[in-house]
Amino acid sequence: MRGVTGAFHELDTTVAAIEDLKKKRLGDVTVYSPTIRHELDHAIDAPVSIVRRFTLVGGLLGVSFGYWIAIWSSNYWPLVTGGKAIASWIPYTIIGFEVMVLVGALSTVAGMFINSRIPRLTTTTGYDARFSGGYFGIHVACDASKADQAEALMRQHGAAEVRREA
Amino acid sequence: MASVAHPVREGGGIRGPNIASADVQLPAVRDYEQVDRDIIGTLGFTKKWFLGLSVAVLAMLIGASAWIYQIYWGLGQAGYEPPVMWGNYIITFVFWVGIGHAGTLISAILYLFRAGFRTSIYRAAEAMTVFAVMTAGLFPIIHIGRPWKFFWLIPYPNWRLLWPNFKSPLVWDVFAISTYLTISTTFLFIGLIPDIAVLRDKETNPMRKRILSILSLGWRNSDREWRHFAKAYLFLAAFSTPLVLSVHSVVSFDFAMALTPGWHASIFPPYFVAGAIFSGFAMVWTIAIPMRKWFKLEHYITLNHLDATAKVVLFTSLVVGSAYLIEFFIAWYSSVRFEQEFFWNRVFGQWWWAAWTLLLCNMAMPMSLWSQKLRRNPTWLFILSLFINLGMWFERFVIVVPSLSHEFEPWQWGGYTVSWVDMSFLVGSFGWFFMWFLLFVKQLPVMAIAELKEIVVPRTKYAHEHGVDTAGLHHPYGTETPGEDE
Repeated sequence: MRGVTGAFHELDTTVAAIEDLKKKRLGDVTVYSPTIRHELDHAIDAPVSIVRRFTLVGGLLGVSFGYWIAIWSSNYWPLVTGGKAIASWIPYTIIGFEVMVLVGALSTVAGMFINSRIPRLTTTTGYDARFSGGYFGIHVACDASKADQAEALMRQHGAAEVRREA
Repeated sequence: MASVAHPVREGGGIRGPNIASADVQLPAVRDYEQVDRDIIGTLGFTKKWFLGLSVAVLAMLIGASAWIYQIYWGLGQAGYEPPVMWGNYIITFVFWVGIGHAGTLISAILYLFRAGFRTSIYRAAEAMTVFAVMTAGLFPIIHIGRPWKFFWLIPYPNWRLLWPNFKSPLVWDVFAISTYLTISTTFLFIGLIPDIAVLRDKETNPMRKRILSILSLGWRNSDREWRHFAKAYLFLAAFSTPLVLSVHSVVSFDFAMALTPGWHASIFPPYFVAGAIFSGFAMVWTIAIPMRKWFKLEHYITLNHLDATAKVVLFTSLVVGSAYLIEFFIAWYSSVRFEQEFFWNRVFGQWWWAAWTLLLCNMAMPMSLWSQKLRRNPTWLFILSLFINLGMWFERFVIVVPSLSHEFEPWQWGGYTVSWVDMSFLVGSFGWFFMWFLLFVKQLPVMAIAELKEIVVPRTKYAHEHGVDTAGLHHPYGTETPGEDE
């Protein structure tokens, strides 16, 4: 992915650079951060994650399956005790709940993987090992015509290092 | 620089900082690089670690040998004596499931409540959860005597056309425990991904770098990844919270659904959950206090953290203590002779020593935590944690053995002697648990690097409105670890 990558040591300069880059519309901005920072979230202003939909669908599928397996198998292999109902919803709620949590949680993880695009098998441009350490990073995907401007902007905001990605 | 986090003497007594505000801060941690350095520094091998691992492996081998012996000679070696056909295995199973609960509690429930003191201890607690549940899971398999038949409890289409009875608490257990193990393992791994990426980026050994690259799944710390990570983590916490409460409730149903005196009690689910949190926090101390000392992590697991956890332990001790007393009250109030007889026997009968051990360890000794001085004394907390672990094992002993040995009719009454095979399994379970934990602490970060960075004040170029100067230092705090010099 062609573009310009800048490494910043300070949070406030990173935020300022992101806001400026977005204002100038030089290209898609990707921000790297060693941890979650609300300042960066606000600067990026990304839409709400859709992982929650995976959670909802997974949870509903899980609870349905949990009740179904218990009811179906009880009817299939009935154990009649004292004339009581073969399918009793109170104990089956335990199974329904546990399977809801299991499938819902695994769907959440799947949602996170799909939306974050991990596992990532190949190394991509724009990343620097320092971004998991003490530095914040900004990558602007742009062509050569806008790269100069992006580079100058990052330097102006105090980037510790700026480099072009071929 | 003024230090509000530092304890000050008022009226002769020691007054600590307000936990709600001070616990989250790590004033002796300067920047992100220091977090990386300090936590990655814990991964180096030491002689003490090898010694600890050797002891754990030896203990585990004792248990493994006892298992082979028992498989060969049969379940009669376990010390069961009719009518006591649940013994050490079920006691130890419930004990380890209980231990496994604090990890998810610290991770999930405290995360949802935004309790800052979880940050430094939650990774160790989560790992503890996974290994404790792995240990617990062994015991029902050992208890059935023919471990190779364990899969009969799992509902799957089979040639026998038989399905497990979904009205049985034992089947609920299978679902609850296996779900809990899966979710707590997932929760641990998801939290580890960004930290494995840190290790990957710092690693110089090509082979290890390759392994870490695979395990980190190509994590790059991008805003897209963090955004979905945060949401997924929140939902996992939201799912884990009721799961924690349900799993030990389900374990308690193994007893409470029976009509046996001493078991048939509606108080069991909350009582078991409180007990699990209580014992789990004690085990967190057993692990975290030596770790803090040996890895020189006093400025990460501060006295404020220990103080906050001590308050949780004190609270849960009061809850379980109340539950013990309520059990006696209900036995008296019910006017059921069998219940009354059983509870009288519990404290003055053949198992009086077990009941008094648990009351001493779980009710009396934790009352020392009303003293702030003791709450902030790691040595005392470590000693107390050992007593609580002992007391909680005896709590399960008191639930299982006296109830079965003293049911409705005198001709049913019996005894139970723990055999050497039982004891070997108990020792082996600790060996198995600590073996995994010791292997974990030298391979992966025992503290969450990314989350610690979240509470470390970031470096800024200009003075920050919340009181951060240009060197990235937070104004109100000194350089020393709060309370360390008491």
